[in-house]
Amino acid sequence: MATVVDSSDPKSNYPIQYRELNYLNCSKGWKSWFFTLDHKRIGIMYLMGVTVSFFLGGLFAMLLRTELLSPAKILMGPDTYNQMFTLHGAIMTFLVIIPGVPAAIGNIILPVMLGAKDVAFPRMNLGSFYLWMFGATFFLAALVIGGLDTGWTFYTPYSVRENNASIIAALLGVFVLGFSSIFTGLNFIVTIHTMRPPGMTWFKMPLFLWALYATALIQILATPVLGITGLLLIVENVFRIGIFDPSLGGDPVLFQHFFWFYSHPAVYVMILPAMGVISEVIAVHSRKHIFGYRFIAYSSIAIAIFGFLVWGHHMFVSGQSKVVAVIFSAITFSVSIPSAIKVFNWLTTMYKGSIRFTTAMCYGLSFLFIFAIGGLTGLFLATLATDVHLHDTYFVVAHFHYVMMGSSLMGLFAAVHHWWPKISGKMFSEFWGRIACLGVFLGFNLTFFPQFMLGTRGMPRRYYTYLPEFQELHVLSSMGAYLLGISSALMVATLVYSIYRGKKAPANPWGGASLEWQCSSPPPHNNFDHPPLAGDPYVMESVVYNEEIGGFVPAECQGDNNGSGTAAGEKEV
Amino acid sequence: MNTAATTPTDEHADSHDHEHHDPRLAHHFDSHQQQFDTGKLGIWLFLVTEVLFFSGLFGFYAVYRSLHPEVFLYASQFLDTVLGAANTIVLLFSSLTMAWGVRCAQLGQTKGLLTCLVITLACAAIFLGVKSFEYTEKAHHGLLWAGMYQSPEHHEAAAVPAAAGAVESGDHGAAHADDHSDDALFEKTKHTLSYMTTVLWAVILLSGIGLAALFKNPNQKTMAAVLGCVLISAIGLQLGAYASIGYHHFGHAAEPTAQEIEMAETVPAEYAKQKEKIPEPKLAGTFFSVYFCMTGLHAIHIIGGMIAISWLIVRTVHGAFTTYYFGAVDFIGLYWHLVDLIWIYLFPLLYLIN
Ligand code: HEM
Ligand SMILES: [Cu+2]
Repeated sequence: MATVVDSSDPKSNYPIQYRELNYLNCSKGWKSWFFTLDHKRIGIMYLMGVTVSFFLGGLFAMLLRTELLSPAKILMGPDTYNQMFTLHGAIMTFLVIIPGVPAAIGNIILPVMLGAKDVAFPRMNLGSFYLWMFGATFFLAALVIGGLDTGWTFYTPYSVRENNASIIAALLGVFVLGFSSIFTGLNFIVTIHTMRPPGMTWFKMPLFLWALYATALIQILATPVLGITGLLLIVENVFRIGIFDPSLGGDPVLFQHFFWFYSHPAVYVMILPAMGVISEVIAVHSRKHIFGYRFIAYSSIAIAIFGFLVWGHHMFVSGQSKVVAVIFSAITFSVSIPSAIKVFNWLTTMYKGSIRFTTAMCYGLSFLFIFAIGGLTGLFLATLATDVHLHDTYFVVAHFHYVMMGSSLMGLFAAVHHWWPKISGKMFSEFWGRIACLGVFLGFNLTFFPQFMLGTRGMPRRYYTYLPEFQELHVLSSMGAYLLGISSALMVATLVYSIYRGKKAPANPWGGASLEWQCSSPPPHNNFDHPPLAGDPYVMESVVYNEEIGGFVPAECQGDNNGSGTAAGEKEV
Repeated sequence: MNTAATTPTDEHADSHDHEHHDPRLAHHFDSHQQQFDTGKLGIWLFLVTEVLFFSGLFGFYAVYRSLHPEVFLYASQFLDTVLGAANTIVLLFSSLTMAWGVRCAQLGQTKGLLTCLVITLACAAIFLGVKSFEYTEKAHHGLLWAGMYQSPEHHEAAAVPAAAGAVESGDHGAAHADDHSDDALFEKTKHTLSYMTTVLWAVILLSGIGLAALFKNPNQKTMAAVLGCVLISAIGLQLGAYASIGYHHFGHAAEPTAQEIEMAETVPAEYAKQKEKIPEPKLAGTFFSVYFCMTGLHAIHIIGGMIAISWLIVRTVHGAFTTYYFGAVDFIGLYWHLVDLIWIYLFPLLYLIN
């Protein structure tokens, strides 16, 4: 065990022709990255971009929370505060969570899971990454120009003002990022449709792929509407066309309709891929077949469809007719059913499984806990009478952080840890990984749970100051935020450290049965020379642990049949 | 385990030499059929996103038309139905040649394909030419989006006695009313139009340069083809613009003829009354916001289509397409039909309101 030589390490003493080549070391130089068409490299670049954005957005969050330590002014006045929460929200939503799981992790994993050599349109994939960069640049421009204080929702008439360059820059950013997201989604749908390997029917697909498929559907059906809305708002700002601007006879509520028609489905763009990750993580780390496969798959699609019919729940107090409000409220309730089905299935998968508390699993469990709270509080907001009280308070802030930060981002963290050995070819320190996870979990709850209480007591959102009686809870929340920030830095440090000092990862460290674990870690440039034969991705008995390798190998390769891995179980359900 | 999937010789990231050496088949596909199906699904999905992209505008049209029907009734009369119809025909024809081109590509008839593509490109350019005339002319009458809109009433204020002339189409009517100043206006229009076409020329030229840069190993053939596309586009554009200006001028000079007067005396008298009954609504500019947003976005799509078609032309000249590899033609053809279809909706929605 001790003498595993990492022949893939470019710094190893092996002459190149004896080195094991993989996608990371098969070519060198910045050009081989920036002009690569390899989905894995593109995914890595996304992952880095997302991480940088996450810390930038996080920095703003820390500043915001610091300001809120006391009702008096500490760091900034109201104007700066407004700008800061706008940038925080916009960066976190558009640059971190939306591309996080699908574009970064999905890009790396999806084709490998499919046993394909690449996504259907590699060039478009690279193009969408460049669009992402371009969009991020516009956001940075908005930051530098300053004065963007509309909130991430860009509500009119805040967002229609005489010559406000930063609003225009940010909107251009949103527009461009939207197209990045559309192209990723389009690529994934086509890849899943046309490039599945022999033996992989729709219902033999890993659930992560189902989730990405449902996500991609939303991406291509909802994002164009955001695109045109952003474009119209830009045109409104530049030419004053009087569409959304009430002073020219426009209708600001129309903007809200357009915006939420995209942005509610977009919250499912954020959560669905994370749910897919959890389906994988829970099954693999419990070493048990996923429970209720079809229910999970169908519920992803159901969420995607229902997600289009509920946007009005963000506008209960914006002046829509009562009948419409009641209908939106009812549909919003029903959208929580598929989510609950999933949670039920995950819990049942764990039941009588042999759960290993690896870091990935710890993040998975955190997800379950936090998502349950986030989803249930959504129901309070979907109830008309309570929403009138809770709308625009910290309750909403806590709700969407439970689902966006607590669930989507936890899903991303789980995914990164689950597939890290595959992506980097290295094992990270489970000890530090788990410590970081604990910190993230505690820090998160400490930050946002008090905000539910603040909200029910009437603390409105988006204010830089508050009544003195709210201070204790605000201080608690800020403390939690610091813990959260430090822990996520620790998480990244642990992972980065592993690149340099980590043990070489085996092909299948956790015992997953889906195709990506059949490929070496890290995968070779072309993933698979020939499409592999796919079986049921959740028959965990098809792989058994091998001491020598330190990972799992297909049961039929394990020389002596020691009972545990009799049949590969390919056709089992 | 596929650990040994890469051989040590596979050094360079993006040079794949596998079993197949067919340069027309991308490395990650198993067969031409798979490659074609993939592209086909991709383009259909892309078209879905395009439809949704426009659907925002259509939604917005629906909302405002239902809220302010009088605005649409009043303002749409300023659009020139004849020019709109002409453009519709031009686009429909281009769709025909495009479809024909796809058929040629499937049959491997390179010459036929080239001819069809060239005609399609020319039609697109003509469309743009007519459109630029329409824009310029609107601009000169102050018929702009809400923020810049100037009421045309000041033109017509002096026109009460000649109201009968103002029947057929508002701006002609206005022209009647104040012949002298309108002639000047017309000259100005012509002048600005030349600015507008110059700008479009620049766009075409730049696109041409960009297109040429897109090709990896350009040779003389490539350059000639790109240049040809640029020329076709520029000539088509100019043709469209001059044709519409000619039509306008012709209509202008010929208007106070017997025929016109007769028209004015017979049917349109009611119209004239009707029209007088419609006072200028408050939000008339909103109609032009809708008009410019929708047709502007559509025009951008036309330009995009022209670039794509030019790309096809260059590749056709190089003989890239064969009976088993014509996906690109098919896909861009589909895109072109969609752009066409959108115009088919825009035309009645904007021009034919009664
Ligand atoms: C499980 C079912 C869910 C229900 C029933 C639900 C319900 C709601 C409702 C009714 C609101 C509007 C509250 C108000 O503004 O007064 C809301 C806000 C919000 N929700 Fe959810 N939600 C659910 C899941 C999610 C998920 C999964 C996400 C994201 C991953 C999410 C993200 C958001 C965001 C970002 C907002 C606030 C947007 C803003 O005003 O800035 N929700 N939710
Ligand atoms: Cu929502």
